[in-house]
Amino acid sequence: MSLPKRILKETERLMSDSPPGISAAPKDDNLRHFDVTVTGPESSPYEGGIFKLELFLPEEYPMNPPKVRFLTKIYHPNIDKLGRICLDILKDKWSPALQIRTVLLSIQALLGAPNPDDPLANDVAQHWKEDQSGAIAQAREWTKQFAQ
Amino acid sequence: MDVDEPVLPQLRKSSPDLFFPVSDSEEEDEAPVVLRSSSTTAGPSSSSALNRGNGSSSAFVSNGLLDLDAKDEPQLLFGSQNSDGIVPIDVKPSPSASVGPSSNRKRPMSQSPPSIIPQNFESGYLGEFVCEGWSLSKGKGYCQPGSKVVFERPKPQKVVTEDESRAVARSKEKAGPARLVNGKVVGAKAKAAIGKQMTLGSMMGKKAASAPARKAPGKPVVDQIIRFRNERGFVGRLSVQEAGFLTHLLDTGVIELRGHVIDCPQSLSTGATILLNVKVYLARQAFVKVEKSGRKEEGSFWQEQKETIEEEAMRKRKDALGALFSRIGVKPLRSNALLLAQKKNGSAVINEASLSHFGSPSRPTSASGVKRSPSPSKRSSGLSDKGKGRASAANSDDEEEDSGDEEEKLDDEQMNEIDTIYRKAQQGDNRLEETDPPDTFLYTLRPYQKQALTWMNARETGDTSVRDQSLHPLWEEYAFRKEQVQGQPIEIEDDEDYVDPSRKFYWNPYSGELSLTFPISNNKARGGILADAMGMGKTCMMASLMHLNREGAASDDPTDDTAVEDEESASKRPKFKQVTLSNQWRAVPTVRKAPASARATLVVCPVSLASQWHDELGKMSDKRTITSYMWHGNDRTDVGILLGQEGKKKVDVLITSYGTLASEYQKWKKNKDKPNYEGGSIYDHEFLRIVLDEAHNIKNRTALVSKACYELKGQRRWALSGTPIVNRLDDLYSLLHFLRLEPWGHYSFFRSFVTIPFLNQDPKALNVVQYILESCLLRREKSMRDKDGRLIVDLPPKTVDIQVLDFSRPERQIYKHLEDRAKRRFIQLDAEGRAMSNYTSILAMLMKLRQCVDHPLLVLGKATAEDDETAEKLLDAQTGDEKTSLKDMIAMYAGGATSEATSDVETVDPTFAAKVLRELGEQETTPICDLCTNEMFDEVLLPCYHRSCQDCIVDWIGTCEDQNKQANCPSCGKGPIGFSDLRSIQRRRKRINPITGGYTDDDGLPASQGETAVTIGKVDLVSSTKLRALVRKLEQIRVDDPEVKALVFSQFTSFLDLIETTLTKAGIKWLRFDGSMSQPQRAATIEEFGKKTKEPVILLISLKAGGVGLNLTMANYVFMMDTWWNEAIEQQAIDRVHRLGQNKPVFVTRYIIKGTVEKRIMKIQRSKTALVNASLSGGASKDKQASLADIKKIFGLGEEDSEDEAY
Repeated sequence: MSLPKRILKETERLMSDSPPGISAAPKDDNLRHFDVTVTGPESSPYEGGIFKLELFLPEEYPMNPPKVRFLTKIYHPNIDKLGRICLDILKDKWSPALQIRTVLLSIQALLGAPNPDDPLANDVAQHWKEDQSGAIAQAREWTKQFAQ
Repeated sequence: MDVDEPVLPQLRKSSPDLFFPVSDSEEEDEAPVVLRSSSTTAGPSSSSALNRGNGSSSAFVSNGLLDLDAKDEPQLLFGSQNSDGIVPIDVKPSPSASVGPSSNRKRPMSQSPPSIIPQNFESGYLGEFVCEGWSLSKGKGYCQPGSKVVFERPKPQKVVTEDESRAVARSKEKAGPARLVNGKVVGAKAKAAIGKQMTLGSMMGKKAASAPARKAPGKPVVDQIIRFRNERGFVGRLSVQEAGFLTHLLDTGVIELRGHVIDCPQSLSTGATILLNVKVYLARQAFVKVEKSGRKEEGSFWQEQKETIEEEAMRKRKDALGALFSRIGVKPLRSNALLLAQKKNGSAVINEASLSHFGSPSRPTSASGVKRSPSPSKRSSGLSDKGKGRASAANSDDEEEDSGDEEEKLDDEQMNEIDTIYRKAQQGDNRLEETDPPDTFLYTLRPYQKQALTWMNARETGDTSVRDQSLHPLWEEYAFRKEQVQGQPIEIEDDEDYVDPSRKFYWNPYSGELSLTFPISNNKARGGILADAMGMGKTCMMASLMHLNREGAASDDPTDDTAVEDEESASKRPKFKQVTLSNQWRAVPTVRKAPASARATLVVCPVSLASQWHDELGKMSDKRTITSYMWHGNDRTDVGILLGQEGKKKVDVLITSYGTLASEYQKWKKNKDKPNYEGGSIYDHEFLRIVLDEAHNIKNRTALVSKACYELKGQRRWALSGTPIVNRLDDLYSLLHFLRLEPWGHYSFFRSFVTIPFLNQDPKALNVVQYILESCLLRREKSMRDKDGRLIVDLPPKTVDIQVLDFSRPERQIYKHLEDRAKRRFIQLDAEGRAMSNYTSILAMLMKLRQCVDHPLLVLGKATAEDDETAEKLLDAQTGDEKTSLKDMIAMYAGGATSEATSDVETVDPTFAAKVLRELGEQETTPICDLCTNEMFDEVLLPCYHRSCQDCIVDWIGTCEDQNKQANCPSCGKGPIGFSDLRSIQRRRKRINPITGGYTDDDGLPASQGETAVTIGKVDLVSSTKLRALVRKLEQIRVDDPEVKALVFSQFTSFLDLIETTLTKAGIKWLRFDGSMSQPQRAATIEEFGKKTKEPVILLISLKAGGVGLNLTMANYVFMMDTWWNEAIEQQAIDRVHRLGQNKPVFVTRYIIKGTVEKRIMKIQRSKTALVNASLSGGASKDKQASLADIKKIFGLGEEDSEDEAY
């Protein structure tokens, strides 16, 4: 299968002009499969961490959203221990006008603004709600431990 | 016949030489008796013929059921001593019988020499062989080695006295008069030998006697028993193997047998083996010409694929003779060129295995230096080999009958071989001399065209001096043998020592005919097949020939003329000819013109090409040197008058169409025999030259149009076709028949020589075709090089781009549904074994699928026949799991009926809306679509004033529907949006005007009304993937070449309709060319297309109407919208553009939709096992089985499926 022109264009732009704190490069063996790194936003518990993700563009992309997952262990109410991300634009709020770049920026933003009200990792969310600072400290700890 | 003359008197004097040679050792009462069953079949007419030449023959022949061999005594033929025992057959001499109506009818293309049988010829000794028989008697002393035997057919045979009535001849049975007791003659009480009598008339009616023997009702089992006995009453029968091929010959009176016992047990018991020596004589009857129905007869001969009874009889005779010859080891003195040609490629076997027994010529002929093949005679004269002849005859029987119904298609490999054939026919073509056309021809010919002129000229003037001397290509020359001295019963002789070179006879191993006269190759065909590849200027070459050879052949070859006259008018009443004549006189009373000097050329071409011929002839010819006249439509003047005109009104070339000709033919057939028929038909005029353009139009020999062409009278005949063999070798036959190329123009010949062997996968068939083509076909291809190594045609490059497209989502849904249902239906039918009987509806279903690939809307097209019912059901059927019928789906696709009104989008930011509208009017560059990140194509406006490609947004809405979620604008998230909310934006280039209005429900303004640069209309989902791809491409092209001219081919005119609409909306000028247009309309269209314009013009052509012949070199882009079954047709279409006169590079784009029937059709197209005919002829094909296999493949049910392929 040849790649749709759009994917090529996006890839090209990601490589040449990546958003700050984000890098994404397709794997050699599958151009729909990207290795992604996202740096933790400043003044967030993830600051200083470099998080690895993988991103996959399904056949139906851009009509269907890309699939993204954290590879680096992260303590975040919207990210479970398998790395799955709870983000609306990756689900029902997906729009084909969105791109890989925008998806990754959204994920980066999610790190800066955890939303324990729409949790994926229930225990983390619980922790966050009950003891926010403790949870943040835990997140920092994890960041230090796993993402540096 | 000088050959026979010295011999025959001698024969008569010493008939023992001729008949059974007497061995003096026998007891008196043991005189061998020979059953001449051959002459027993002689009816009144044949015997009368004998009568005239031979005073005594009446008695001789009529009584000749039995020729007794009574040692050296002339009166053995019912001489006085024996005649008391003989009941002579009552034969009425009827001198007129042999010239009765049926025999009078001359074969149009006689391939047999005049069947003159020297009056005194009785029979000729052919040779002898040893065979085995079984005793049916018991006891001692019945027979001994050396005792002579009589052969007879055991059962009472019918006697036919009717002469002309063939049908009766087959069923009448009579035994009495023919009964002949020979026992008394020799004093033994042998039972009556029963002879069979057949009239000459019925023989000539070519129901050779096998018909009665084998076909008579109530006698279905073929009787192959040949008994033999001697005068003592001992009876035996020949072994079945031997009898097999002898029975037929005995029954038809072709041969006479005599024999004697070589070895037998002292005491006979039933079933004991007796070794016999059998001598074979060719009887007079063998040389009586067998009449065949010719082309004039509207009988079944031309209508049935199957061989007629006559053909069957001839075939049996041929096979039997072949077996016999090989059994005896007779070898030709001279063979024909064709066999030699075959020999070059190994042992020559053309279907009939018997043919292979014919050794190479023992004398080198003009054509040969071929070595003699190992003589089969040695082998076959041995006992061990005795079954061979029989077996081979039987084989060919079976094969032929089996194959009668098959379609003779060429598979891939064979098609390749055909290329090879052409190639061989092309050898040396580049060394042909060049002939310059006369000055009156204005065009400059290219070198290869001048070569063609040389060749054509030679074909027309015909260097016949050599050819006429040569042996007819199908005949072989043999000599009778001298009978060897008695007393050496078994002798495997060295043939030539015994051959009597002064007594020759000729055999046609293909038809089974025998002749005593030299069969001259009298090929009168003038003309040939000009089969240069498409676009090489066949029209031009033919025109130059018209200039070169202007006058008729009336003087240059009188024999030719008369031959033509003979052949053509033989079956017509003389009066008819006169009428025509007087017509001519009336028209031009002052001009004394010999009626025979035909000078006009008739061009028959597809109607779409008529005006092209007319125009081109006009352009090529110096003023008034050649004037052409289009003779078609309703204003068809009397041809006689028309062509009789002189001076300014003189007509040199008459151009007509196949259709016109066919209707004229029908009219003529109806009227010609009426007493008040006045002539004036095109069939009453003899043309100098008949040219069939796109001659593959007559490839079906049974089609009316083909018959119409065969009947035309002309001295020279030409067939022009870039594809003389379309998909079966039989295609060629029709052309050869039209050309009257002897002997191939005879179906039976062609069939037994090409078709049947071909069916039997015998590669020799192709050798034969090649041999045929060498003489009459000229074919050059664009890629060929001249003697200096340069390309003979220097055409600009051609690029073929196969665009594999992906369905849009709704299209795929519709297609999938349709395909699933069709598949289910097919599987069901197939499982029930009803696939065959529903063949046409299956094809109709396929048709729907193919249409759906072009555009879902096409599927809704009207059903064209009841066959389509099934296909219609495909659309209606509501199978359980589907909520909506396909019709609904398609309707939805079209954006009509069902799509419920979607809720109004809330509020739109007015400033944004204004900005967008302003942009629409002003911006010159196409905006980028958010979804595909390309320039927008088929720009649509969403309610929120965001824009997108139509494809992208439709895809998005479809995806959302699938996921049962609301479709919102991808850019702003407003929604929901539905298909009906989309508004298309049509931009007209070249004029930039501010937008005038908001939404309009207009379908876009007519192109002429150009104030608005942008129209916003209801989204036209009446588009399809292919349509959009086409428009997109056209838009691209016109950026590079604003004056581009392109052809768009589709096989569905309904699709052309949709393309029209789309082009209109896109503001692209188009023209239309299809089958529904009249000739003037077509001509006008082509002319219009040829005009220089400042804007792109697209010619929409229906593949069937415009695929051939047209010269459209003004265009250099070709779009093939769909896939036709036959690649050759598509090739033809492309060559409308890529041909002589094209000076720009040619770009061909083919659109294929991924994962549909198209891909599989293409595959089949490549393998060329082709459904071709099945689909073309509406399903009446006979090889449905094969086609079904193809259909399975198309449905993806075949062995290998191919989802893994590129498309």
